[in-house]
Amino acid sequence: MTDRYSFSLTTFSPSGKLVQIEYALNAVAQGVTSIGIKATNGIVIATEKKSASPLIDDSSLEKVANVCPNIGMVYSGMGPDFRVLLSKARKAAQKYKRIYNEYPPTGILVKEVASVMQEFTQSGGVRPFGVSLLIAGYDETGPALYQVDPSGSYWAWKASAIGKNMINAKTFLEKRYNDDIELEDAVHTSILTLKEGFEGQMTENSIEIGIIGGTTTGFTEGKERPLFRKLSPLEVRDYLT
Amino acid sequence: MATTRLEQPKGGFNFDNYQRNVFLENKGIPVPKMTKTGTTIVGLIYKDGICLGADTRATAGPIVADKNCEKIHYLAPNMYCCGAGTAADTEFTTALISSQLELHRLTTGREARVATALMMLKQMLFRYQGHIGAALVLGGYDVTGPHLYTIHPHGSTDKLPYVTMGSGSLAAMAVFESKWRKDMERQEAIELVREAIESGIFNDLGSGSNVDVTVIEKDKVDVYRNYAKPNERGVKEQSYKFKRGTTAILKESIKDLVIITEGIEEMDIS
Amino acid sequence: MSILEYNGGAIVAMVGKNCVAIGSDKRFGVQLMTVSTEFPKIFPATDKTFIGLPGLATDIRTLSERFRFKINMYKLSEEREIEPRTLAHLVSSTLYERRFGPYFVEPIIAGLDKDNQPFICGMDLIGCINFAKDFVVAGTTTDSLFGVCESLWEPDLEPEDLFETVSQSLLNAVDRDSLAGWGAVIHVVTPERVITRTLKTRMD
Repeated sequence: MTDRYSFSLTTFSPSGKLVQIEYALNAVAQGVTSIGIKATNGIVIATEKKSASPLIDDSSLEKVANVCPNIGMVYSGMGPDFRVLLSKARKAAQKYKRIYNEYPPTGILVKEVASVMQEFTQSGGVRPFGVSLLIAGYDETGPALYQVDPSGSYWAWKASAIGKNMINAKTFLEKRYNDDIELEDAVHTSILTLKEGFEGQMTENSIEIGIIGGTTTGFTEGKERPLFRKLSPLEVRDYLT
Repeated sequence: MATTRLEQPKGGFNFDNYQRNVFLENKGIPVPKMTKTGTTIVGLIYKDGICLGADTRATAGPIVADKNCEKIHYLAPNMYCCGAGTAADTEFTTALISSQLELHRLTTGREARVATALMMLKQMLFRYQGHIGAALVLGGYDVTGPHLYTIHPHGSTDKLPYVTMGSGSLAAMAVFESKWRKDMERQEAIELVREAIESGIFNDLGSGSNVDVTVIEKDKVDVYRNYAKPNERGVKEQSYKFKRGTTAILKESIKDLVIITEGIEEMDIS
Repeated sequence: MSILEYNGGAIVAMVGKNCVAIGSDKRFGVQLMTVSTEFPKIFPATDKTFIGLPGLATDIRTLSERFRFKINMYKLSEEREIEPRTLAHLVSSTLYERRFGPYFVEPIIAGLDKDNQPFICGMDLIGCINFAKDFVVAGTTTDSLFGVCESLWEPDLEPEDLFETVSQSLLNAVDRDSLAGWGAVIHVVTPERVITRTLKTRMD
């Protein structure tokens, strides 16, 4: 039945669904779990780094990425799709900066990325992105964590999980989260949450963590502000032990 | 979606007013003068890195438009660029390349090389055939060591151990030619740059005010804004404050921005 | 003749102690003939920020509307007021976009930022910003305004004193410019209020 309404990827089914978006969400649900937690003084985003074969050099994989100095993001779902969105997000941030001479606030950047994703649910000859994103940023209003889905809808979260283990992870986060959690604790909580559904031994090479806020400030063009940065394997190891 | 799209230009230049302005020009009304940086800008290589220097005067014709402008522009964490010529062009050209270098850094995951910035700048300037009036001194330190270049508005470049540009370039080069040596110490280099810029400030009318210095070494940059201030303004002998009420007013309107709640008692809701 | 002198006009902005002031003349002329004496050249951008546009009157009209549009769009999409420094860069990039076919205006921006710190800046017609800590001037009266402001301005003027200094600077400079004058208006922005005053001037 659904086949009849799949002649165009962007046509509603009689029940009001866009099946392609649901399929995209399925792709996300098969993806590796990612976690995001907003702390009082910053944000942590974390994900598993699962390679299909032990022969893959996993140091070359990058799932947590910088968009601009004050914003970073992570995904669950299809890696290639993420790379496209990442490059679009980075360009959008630079475009904003060329006009206002400052980096975009988190919300603006999220809107921009979400509108790209929305466009791909309504345009001809394209398919939706097979990823959900967690975008972490710090602007003058403080830290903010957003999730963006393939449909282009987005929400701000205190803590969220996407990917394979999202249901369990969210339940876990609901129990663990409190409003005055600090960044250090949030990093530990994110690791614990990831451990919940983790297969095999967790090492500094099998997870990726990105943080913004806390002590990670730096000078960009003469002004000191919080910077998004990925934790090095060494730092991750310290958190694991 | 439409909202964010509308306010942002597509990028590239807009020529909508061009015909009109050419028409005016043909009627004998030329396009007005833009802010220029008459400028002395210099750079030199010393033992551990690069030292860049610039004066801080911007001019509009014979008028000093800005007494303390910044001519050493940020390009990347390991690269800075002095600009001379049309002030807006140096400002925006360096900002654009800085933006492209940041994207380059993010995609490659490593620091950009000075040669990369050089190619981006010269290709852009060549593309515009000299209409973008930016004369630049580019300095930086990358994996291959310290590098110093000059870039002319038409896109030609030079790679030299000590360079000067702008209207004060002759005055500054005179200093460099007589005093520059190979492998100078850091402080020596800074002082030589200061002397070269001051030579421009005092001998070239297009340059003036203060000396800005930026020192780039391996993994270390020091920006000395107004490193020397050889032209500080004297203190006024007297205050020229007017007595309040001097100016005759025809009409006054005041818009309060703060709602004054003082004196209003809180309502008893118990 | 420069096209910036076609309609005439003068704008000046100054920094005071926790306040800024911006003032302009009100003349709109066609070369030496005065057409109107009620031509505003200063436009409110936000509650605490003004943008002054001296230059070719037709471009003043066009740009004041374009900026109004951009400022409103910014407010809607960002859900906040634009900061004066951000506005300066927005104006600057808008002008530079037309690097090879510019609008004939030399904008001045004056306002208080979110921490009530004074901000003023001037620009040339292709968007090169001049961040000044004392005063900025623009328009046909630039030369005389520079001279008079250079001697009359002093740091940390209270709003009322700043008003007198700006007014007297503008009034006296404009007396030596046949293309500007015929009324003047001054806005003084303080954290608490915006005071707008129309000045009594020579009408010749």
